[in-house]
Amino acid sequence: MSTNEAVDKRPATAEEMASRPVRFAVVGTGGMGGTHARNLAGSSEAEVTWLVDIDTDRANKLAADIGGKVTPSMDEAFSSGEVDVALIALPTGLHRMGVEAAAKHKIHVFCEKPIARTNEDAIAMTQICKDAGVTLMVGHVVRFFSEYMRIKEQLEAGTLGDIAMVRGSRINPPVMERSPWFADVAVSGGVVLDLMIHEIDTFRWMFGDVERLFAHGLSFTDWHTKRDHAIASLTFRDGTIAHCEASWAHSAFRTSIEVAGSKGLAKHSSFDSSTLIFEPSTGVEYEGIGQQSKQFTYMRPTVTPPHLRELLVFIDCLRTGKPVPVDGDEATRTLIVANAVLDSMRENRVIEFNEDGSVKQA
Amino acid sequence: MTTKTVKVAMLSFAHQHAIGYAMVLNALPDVEITVIADEDADRGQHWAQTFNTQWVASIDEALAMDVDCVVVCSENVHHKTMTIAAAKAGKHVLCEKPLATTVDDATSMIAACEEAGVQLMTAFPVRFNASILALKDAVHSEHFGETLTIAARNPGTNPGQWFVDPALSGGGAVIDHTVHVVDVLRFIYGAEVTEVYAQSGNKLAGGVSDDTGLLMFKLSNGVPVSLDTSWTRPSNWPIWGGVTLDVIGEFGVLFANAYNNNYDLAETTTPSYTWQPVEHTGDPEMVSAFIDAVRNGTDVPVTGTDGLRALEVALAAMKSAESNQLEPITHA
Repeated sequence: MSTNEAVDKRPATAEEMASRPVRFAVVGTGGMGGTHARNLAGSSEAEVTWLVDIDTDRANKLAADIGGKVTPSMDEAFSSGEVDVALIALPTGLHRMGVEAAAKHKIHVFCEKPIARTNEDAIAMTQICKDAGVTLMVGHVVRFFSEYMRIKEQLEAGTLGDIAMVRGSRINPPVMERSPWFADVAVSGGVVLDLMIHEIDTFRWMFGDVERLFAHGLSFTDWHTKRDHAIASLTFRDGTIAHCEASWAHSAFRTSIEVAGSKGLAKHSSFDSSTLIFEPSTGVEYEGIGQQSKQFTYMRPTVTPPHLRELLVFIDCLRTGKPVPVDGDEATRTLIVANAVLDSMRENRVIEFNEDGSVKQA
Repeated sequence: MTTKTVKVAMLSFAHQHAIGYAMVLNALPDVEITVIADEDADRGQHWAQTFNTQWVASIDEALAMDVDCVVVCSENVHHKTMTIAAAKAGKHVLCEKPLATTVDDATSMIAACEEAGVQLMTAFPVRFNASILALKDAVHSEHFGETLTIAARNPGTNPGQWFVDPALSGGGAVIDHTVHVVDVLRFIYGAEVTEVYAQSGNKLAGGVSDDTGLLMFKLSNGVPVSLDTSWTRPSNWPIWGGVTLDVIGEFGVLFANAYNNNYDLAETTTPSYTWQPVEHTGDPEMVSAFIDAVRNGTDVPVTGTDGLRALEVALAAMKSAESNQLEPITHA
């Protein structure tokens, strides 16, 4: 049995991983898994040895482009002796299963965000990885987007003074038709666990822990299968007030951040700072309202995409023994706040937090 | 047919909005600024000279003159005494927002005007803005469907002066910037605010008044709204601030940015870079509507009760920011 073999294994050491490209099994080859696999395959620091997906057709198509063996079985990949790191890009509800399987095989883990659907799963996954002696990093990628890194640098330099108000938004077209599992809030956590969790994590990174929140939106209304939209007011322990907006009701993906302090203001919008725009010469309707211009595209191409940057940092941590920037505990604290946003929306109530990041019982 | 000249007394220039209103009044045909009353002699004389009229120090002296109506632009806390004095003198009143600093003051102003048979209008120019009027049509069109949720902002620069002294202003950024958007939403949807959660702070200026505010409230039609009232714009921001509403609807999203019709102006002086209005609508239309109502004896389009309803939300928000709880809105 592979279970017994697994017990005898040990995690790949820093020295081993420093001596050669780090070997990844990408588990789940959908949107995020595909992005990560292509980024890793294009990097000299990494090698994609296995692609794991119950949809082997999808995995085979990806393998034809970037190489790697295909299997529907995590155990087969993890027991091959060819995997240092499992990259878990499964639907959220399956993250725990994937992380546990990797930890059992003493394989380091990079897990897509959110770390889990439930706080209990997140806490358990973090402990399992600690017990197995494997490194766990969670993919809160916004910390690796250049604009958020630059603003964080300004905050640390004190350029903006004492911060009073911060606004972050992450808006997107509805995704429920393309990926129906998102429409089930109990399974996916809706727009809050998919999008708003980025603002929550980024603002925790910038301002520390949350003291209190209130939220409202559509996730628990009859609209949620067609449109989802949420707004949360977070008050941080340092007094910073945050407005977080997440949407599956717009026609194009856009993000923005604005930070206002006693000495100044910094803001960034992905649309305003686009460096390449495609505008179709026909097909956009200007008359009336409610029209969607489906072909209009804006881009900000970069040399190192943020999704590759976070993996390169992870690889560096594995090779040097430095702590990863977003470990299981950090991702769990972010998830607890995100789940509290959902609870506040559902129950129309203010939620307060203890200093250890847990929810204060009413 | 001759048109009767409408004679206006402007009571105090403590609020800088008086300047804009006076510019509109001076440009209107058959309207006369008969007098500017201001206890601050330097300020009163300066604006009287600018607008080619006379200055008096005393409100009572101005109210004793042959005028039809008054425009009250004092510190918020003095709206009550000036409005009641004007009502007793039989003058119609256009009062700057917020209508008052307490519910009791607002209701006594409304009662005094009713008793005297004069009209009381609250100065809410944003509902006269062309984009807001177009937004009102758009959200009620079949192309837009049902309104699902709204994110609104009324950010600005810190006005300083008496605005940051709660004894004169009644608060800070929350009372200053809640009322415009609440009025616009009441105007668009015919709905009232039912409950509010708010957080506020004073970290921007570190003063005694709040300078930061974030409200989360619900309308009686079920629509949830967020409203940022903060004075987050630094003093060298290219424009004073703005009013924006992102309205999420069944079939799309409407973005209203009421004061965004500007041109960029870069000068070699300081401040070097500003956004200058191409056209900002609202003030002229609001002041004209008041004058028309006075001239024709018709109802003013925005009432004292409209001012009271918006004030109730601002005061409940300030209470919530203290209690950290949802506060219900009760109507006086």
